[in-house]
Amino acid sequence: MKYAFYPGCVSRGGCPELYPSAVKVAGKLGLELEELKDVGCTGAGVLPQYLSDPINARTFAKAEQVGLPVMTICSTCQGVMAQANYRLKSDPAYREEINREYLSEEGLEYKGTTEVKHLLWVLFEDYGLDRLKSMIQRPLKGLKVSPFYGCFLRRPPEAITPTKELSRRKSYLDELIEVLGAELVDISGKGKCCGFPILTANEENSLAMVAKHTGESKGKGADCMVTPCPLCHLNLDGNQPRAESLKGEKIDLPILHLPQFVGLALGFEPDEMHLKRHIIPTRAVETKVEMLT
Amino acid sequence: MQVTFKVYRKDPEGDGKPGRSTFTVELPDDANVMDGLLKIRDEMDGSLAFRASCLRGYCGECTMRINGKATFACTAKVSAFTKKGPEITLDPLRNIPVIKDLVFDWDAFLWNKIKAVKPWLEPNEAPASGENLLPDSVMKDLRQVMSCYYCGLCDEGCTVLPVDFNFLGPAALTKAYRVAFDPRDRDGKERLRIAEQPKGVWDCVHCFEASEHCPRGIQPTERILALRDKAFKVGISHEKVARHHKSFAASVKDSGWVDEGRLALESEGLTNIKGLMKLLPTAARALVRGKAPLPYLHAKRPGADQIKRIFEKGEQEEK
Repeated sequence: MKYAFYPGCVSRGGCPELYPSAVKVAGKLGLELEELKDVGCTGAGVLPQYLSDPINARTFAKAEQVGLPVMTICSTCQGVMAQANYRLKSDPAYREEINREYLSEEGLEYKGTTEVKHLLWVLFEDYGLDRLKSMIQRPLKGLKVSPFYGCFLRRPPEAITPTKELSRRKSYLDELIEVLGAELVDISGKGKCCGFPILTANEENSLAMVAKHTGESKGKGADCMVTPCPLCHLNLDGNQPRAESLKGEKIDLPILHLPQFVGLALGFEPDEMHLKRHIIPTRAVETKVEMLT
Repeated sequence: MQVTFKVYRKDPEGDGKPGRSTFTVELPDDANVMDGLLKIRDEMDGSLAFRASCLRGYCGECTMRINGKATFACTAKVSAFTKKGPEITLDPLRNIPVIKDLVFDWDAFLWNKIKAVKPWLEPNEAPASGENLLPDSVMKDLRQVMSCYYCGLCDEGCTVLPVDFNFLGPAALTKAYRVAFDPRDRDGKERLRIAEQPKGVWDCVHCFEASEHCPRGIQPTERILALRDKAFKVGISHEKVARHHKSFAASVKDSGWVDEGRLALESEGLTNIKGLMKLLPTAARALVRGKAPLPYLHAKRPGADQIKRIFEKGEQEEK
């Protein structure tokens, strides 16, 4: 099982613990990754579509050249690329225009055949839960975990859940928590926004969202939250101390990246998953995990 | 079939405290929730307050939460909500001041916000003769937006409104799109400034909940993004957002990917000492954990020159 790996900017920038964790987990699972190095940022919902669509079309064309589906480890990268890919695949005239105006000069052409999948989707749709279960070395029994998807891994439906069968993508993370042996602590905001996109425009609202989601999870007894989105992680983990100040009470909820969570179940030690790099200490999680080994 | 409705109640002339009334009624198998409400009001409790108008899913007046799901009572089949048991709970939309029972304050929820985006055309110079006509392609797009019947479901789904009721919300901002993208309007740039007002388009988290909730397929989130893209093109008026977007674009244009350290500094403004000081605690925490990306020490990606070329071409095309 081989993928054109698109790690995204944040997994090597603000969340440097994510990239090595993802690579280690992929290696242990036997997912072969060929990193796409000669490609640009997706635009992350910040760049306007008239700039980000050509940049993403270029990425898809590069993956098409090596004949591999793209694998992401970021809900935002996944969402922005899936939306661009939907436009490029469903509107051949638009794709032709992008090819002609932006890609042809470099000798590239996007034919519209590239699939883009988040690691979470890969685990369910390509790897398979039975195979994943057979790889578990440390069932995370007793660990109470809340899911937090990141909006872009849930919507819009035409790009993310285009068929009835794929609507199950909206519950993959919930399912995964139980598959890995942990206890699901459901929260009402798991599919909502973490607040990161408005950190610049309205910091107060952004931090209120952090406090709302992490506070609800903690209040329901979770040991930690797991997210497939490093931008959510930047806000839910990195800005949790500021959200605590805003709320006027301690929350202290560790936030794990998806590969770290999977990695712990695969038998990696917390240090190998770089948990020490988190802003909110993960000691409670580490203690529970160490008791399981 | 026998159905028990558990209805949210609040009487401003009573103690004003919210409660719940329970009514059990006999309804035909194909009844909708509104049939139940009308029967309760006619036969059991004439004081029960709710809105209803067209009774066929066109007007959006009877929007409410049925077993927690926001929808129209007049088209919601009772049978669809009683699969797990014969009880149905009815509540007003979330986070909105309630006037009485299921009647919430439409002015606060929607109309005051619609008014805030000045939802009328200020026509440019009329042609010397005939009508001020639009090309079919433009009209087709605007007609889709104009099919909104203000049911409020997009605002109900909005992720921002639960933390900030003063956010203009997707319904009003979609109305702003309708005017800003009409070539017959006098000043498109001014329209963008209205959409960019505090609590406007830049407060949207573009989570696509609004588009998922819209029963008309109007795609409010995409409309908000189109307003933002247009503002990006002509110059963003929100100062901090403008700095953020400028820095983001510059770093992708220069290196192919985002220089997060630079982005944090330049979003605050390099001469904004107070803003930069505010970053210090977060930066210090990140440094201790070995995860603060150092600004301006950002290696170019291998394809950076091609990304720069795409930028230059895109900027040129959009001029």
